[in-house]
Amino acid sequence: MTFKQFIKELGGERVEGELVKTIFYSLLTSFIFLEALYFFKLKNLEGFIPKYGFYLFFAALSYATITPAIRQVRSYSQGLACMPGMMIGMTIGMLAGFLSGFYVAATNGMFVGSIFGMSVGILLGVWSGKCCGVMGVMEGIMAGFMGGLMGPMTAFMLLNDNIKAIAIIVFVISTITISGLNYMIYKETKETKREKKEDHFFTIVLTFILIAITTWLIVYGPRSAIFQ
Amino acid sequence: MKNSTMLISIGIMILLVGGFIFFNSEADKTTSNTIKTEEAQKITLGIKNYNYYPNTITLKVDQPVELTLDESVSGCFRSFTVKALGIQKYSKSPEEKIEFTPTQKGTFAFACSMGMGYGKLIVE
Repeated sequence: MTFKQFIKELGGERVEGELVKTIFYSLLTSFIFLEALYFFKLKNLEGFIPKYGFYLFFAALSYATITPAIRQVRSYSQGLACMPGMMIGMTIGMLAGFLSGFYVAATNGMFVGSIFGMSVGILLGVWSGKCCGVMGVMEGIMAGFMGGLMGPMTAFMLLNDNIKAIAIIVFVISTITISGLNYMIYKETKETKREKKEDHFFTIVLTFILIAITTWLIVYGPRSAIFQ
Repeated sequence: MKNSTMLISIGIMILLVGGFIFFNSEADKTTSNTIKTEEAQKITLGIKNYNYYPNTITLKVDQPVELTLDESVSGCFRSFTVKALGIQKYSKSPEEKIEFTPTQKGTFAFACSMGMGYGKLIVE
């Protein structure tokens, strides 16, 4: 019953009704940024699309699935208990770390990928998990750390073995997991009133920062010996 | 904007950008895996300091290569790959040679399938 209500709420007045809009703004930000950069600068870079296009495209898609969940958490920051807080910190930290690290490691090597993955994972995990006390923060740190290492490790070990196929599979699984988190937050807060009503400026800024750093690292960042 | 309009816009954006990347992502086909009638360049790789030895190999362009992984090479190191040239072969024993012909000059990284051991192929 609740799931049907959740689906119905995707077109409603609560923050869940803005999830699709958040995905849209996040994707739009990433694609405009990448297209502008491509036509003004990166077009002249030899083999830019065959080498990096796929990973940047999936990085943009991944950030578009993570930012709506963060926005949803921010809307109910005080109405969540410790247990959902742990789940929020863990899911966002793990997936943000895993995905961002995966794409960077696929082009730059495990060291750079791990540093970036851990930074993004821990930062977003703690930021989201802090809504619900120290347990959420702890989970954010641990999951960000684990995901930030696991993503690059997976990418690096599959470099010569269908890495693009696994990137698609990883992205699909992550999207399903994030959708589960969106539903869980709705289920936990359906009786709660929305605390924070904010526009999409936050989504645009967060996406811009993430995609800009990812692009810079993938195109110009330091690389392991195997990529030199 | 309605959710349905948003979803359609998202789909179109993904299709456009994804399609653009897909149609511009042709892999370089710089080698063939067939040995020509010319004499092959014979290379034998072993293991030293937890890496391939030698790990810098100089080859001549358009001349077939016959690469052997000797008995000291084990585990994932037996799966020899040169990603840029599309070479990926698992050699069970030193008798199973890895054969290819580099058709483009340049420096290419080679590695085992997991990236644990690596080195450079310099094609001149």
